[in-house]
Amino acid sequence: MSEPTGPVLLRFDHASLAYGRVRVVEDVHGTVHGGEAVALIGPNGAGKSTLLRAVLGLVDVVSGGIEVLGSTPARARREVAYVPQVDTLDAQFPVSVGQVVLMGRYRDVGWLRRPGARDRAIADEALDAVGLAERKDDRFGTLSGGQRQRVLLARAIAQQPRLLLLDEPFNGVDAVSQQALLAALRRLQDDGAAVAVSTHDLALAHLACDEVCLLNKHQVAFGPTEATLTPELLRAAYGGQALELAGDSVIVAR
Amino acid sequence: MAAVVAAGVLAFAGCGAGGSGRAPGGNAELDVVATTPVVADFVRNVGGDRVHVVQILKPGVDPHDYEASPADIQAIADADLVVKSGVGLEAAWLDDTVSSAGYGGEVVDASRGVTVRHGNGTDEQKAGDPHIWHDPANARIMVGDIAAALAAKDPAGTAGYERNAAAYDAKLATLDAENKAEISTIPVAQRKLVTNHDAFGYYCARYGITFVGSIIPSFDTSAELSGNELSDLVAKIEQTGVRAVFSESSLPPKTAETVAAEAGVQVVEGEDSLYADGLGPAGSPGGTYLGAERHNTATIVKALGGRV
Amino acid sequence: MRYLLEPFGSPFMQRALAEALLLGAVAAVVSVFVVLRRLAFVSDVLTHTVFPGVVIGFVVAGTSGIVWGALVFAVLSAVLITVLAARSRVTEDASMAIVLTGFFAVGVVLVSRQTSFTSDLTAFLFGRILTVDRQQLVVTAVIGAAVLLLLALLGKELLFRAFDPAGAEARGYRVLALDLVLNLAVALVVVAAVRAVGTVLVIALLVVPAAAGRLLSDRLAGIMLIAVGTALLAGWLGLVASWQASVNHGLRLASGATVVLVLVVLYGAAAAIATVRKVRA
Repeated sequence: MSEPTGPVLLRFDHASLAYGRVRVVEDVHGTVHGGEAVALIGPNGAGKSTLLRAVLGLVDVVSGGIEVLGSTPARARREVAYVPQVDTLDAQFPVSVGQVVLMGRYRDVGWLRRPGARDRAIADEALDAVGLAERKDDRFGTLSGGQRQRVLLARAIAQQPRLLLLDEPFNGVDAVSQQALLAALRRLQDDGAAVAVSTHDLALAHLACDEVCLLNKHQVAFGPTEATLTPELLRAAYGGQALELAGDSVIVAR
Repeated sequence: MAAVVAAGVLAFAGCGAGGSGRAPGGNAELDVVATTPVVADFVRNVGGDRVHVVQILKPGVDPHDYEASPADIQAIADADLVVKSGVGLEAAWLDDTVSSAGYGGEVVDASRGVTVRHGNGTDEQKAGDPHIWHDPANARIMVGDIAAALAAKDPAGTAGYERNAAAYDAKLATLDAENKAEISTIPVAQRKLVTNHDAFGYYCARYGITFVGSIIPSFDTSAELSGNELSDLVAKIEQTGVRAVFSESSLPPKTAETVAAEAGVQVVEGEDSLYADGLGPAGSPGGTYLGAERHNTATIVKALGGRV
Repeated sequence: MRYLLEPFGSPFMQRALAEALLLGAVAAVVSVFVVLRRLAFVSDVLTHTVFPGVVIGFVVAGTSGIVWGALVFAVLSAVLITVLAARSRVTEDASMAIVLTGFFAVGVVLVSRQTSFTSDLTAFLFGRILTVDRQQLVVTAVIGAAVLLLLALLGKELLFRAFDPAGAEARGYRVLALDLVLNLAVALVVVAAVRAVGTVLVIALLVVPAAAGRLLSDRLAGIMLIAVGTALLAGWLGLVASWQASVNHGLRLASGATVVLVLVVLYGAAAAIATVRKVRA
């Protein structure tokens, strides 16, 4: 991961986040360049989702700042794609895989108009990028959890974003889907996009991410993966929920 | 699917528009639609064989609040004449129904010429008490109006209508006399009436009975007595020494029973209920105007201590 | 077949049919969103909150005032419901129920001050589809067109929000505004339905068609088509049934209610078909 990286697409400048009066995340500081992926790691309730929402402009930044694509989160939102956790969605909903991916085009199509041939082509390509082109006409709920997560990623890809945010996309996902997700993300990064993904999976972080942000309501560390995923720092982030093994191995609880 | 239906509807719009133009039922010359059972009874008596009567309100149905059925509207659409009781009895539904049916003819108001009893309280009371037929004198006027209307529509049958009307008029006169006689057997102090709704104003006025009050304090059947009004009524009953509370054939007797129980007086209900807004089932003694009015008088007289 | 067409020879039945079909089609389209968003209870609340508007309109301006009064309260209700759903401290159900009963009671109190109280009340609650006049047809058509236009223009955004509210919000859509639009569409259907089937029965038109469609299809287009078809069929057959019963058998079946009853029967048929399919599969 020492390829030349692009411009800064995401910058946290000692940002603290709050819901109303309650501060939930303190002092996040770091940058993500085009072509890079950063993993947000921390126990449940650490503020990973909140941080992602703040990048979308949906959470108040009460001190410091967040700069997205050189601009404010609200203004940059057009080119920022968000992939939610797949189990937040109703599996019974009568919508096809193709229709879900096409939803990624809606904002660009705009109000009052219908998606055109070009939009459909982009959507088809996005679905192909996650390896599910042949499931296009199946109902979304008939796919496995991992496959559904891939479809949601395809929806995000169809948006043609420059920054991609993923909320625990690897939870409970089978190996095949995991590979497909990683491959698609890799391709996006090769095209210059930046990726921020929250996850519990340290192995995946090692495998796929250039940088790591360790969070537990405040930033514990933000830096290159190798240097940041150390036992000491992990212990600091997970508090008593980390278990040490022989040598330097650490197991963290969720 | 919608296109097929639309096409079907349009096809029928063409052939239906001219009215069905069917011949009157049987040998009858006129198709007359009458709203209430009382009016229908009058029309049948005056019209005889020349008139085919369709009665809208069936026995026991509340005339103040009614939703016309397809058959009702169809009947009005095909009618030669529509006769109503008047004084707002059918006001809530008749006009809309007639215009929906597309009936362009005359709606005969049987109450023309009747002196309407007005209240001076609510708007509704100012409009007048529609229960005019309980006074046989008014009934005679209604019959006269109906005869005139039938004759006007069907001049060829005038002789018959006038003959029938005269015969029936005699019966009404007899009824009036009988009522007077029977009521006079009630001790004067007992000539007090409490009914379910205020439907017997004309009857009381004609025969010198005091109307103490009614459970539903209105000419219409919809209002409810407030707690105060109920206890006032009970107090009045006790004070004035009323002997009975009368319920009616087309209204539930529950409140009447309650008031009577509270006041410690008899409640007259069930088969003895008064015919206030309509008549009984066809074929039963209360199924005609004369039968119903006789029943009412007999029941009232008996309950209040007179001799029948 | 003659049996199914003969009731519609008279103008009043033709008008009733036109009203039933127009209303049914529009309500069916809205019902798809109601069912997908699980808004049946919210829709029920809206039918009750529009009611006092009906009464006030009637008191102020007679029969022609009904639609205007209903419209005002429709907009008011839609806004109130949307805001409540977003901010409720008490559970959403409870605050909605409070609004529902409060508004409805206001309506009943107001109408009970009228002398033709019970007649008006039943007319507003259950409709008088047989005395629908040309003007009412125009009102239904205009409101129906407005609702369909609204849903056509915002359909894809409403779909996105229904499927993935978090994703929609992340994408920059104002979820609250979209919810307001849908609530408004429901409230407008209630306004259009007052004279035909009344505020109590309209909830059936707003839920059952799409529910039947959902039983039989997995695709949005399929559900929409079945919903509209079911509503149209119920309108037609319901009027046929109440006419035939009344004219040929002397049996009174209130027309508006019969349409709703047929709709429910059709739902039962859909459920039976769905069960057979499942058993066979």
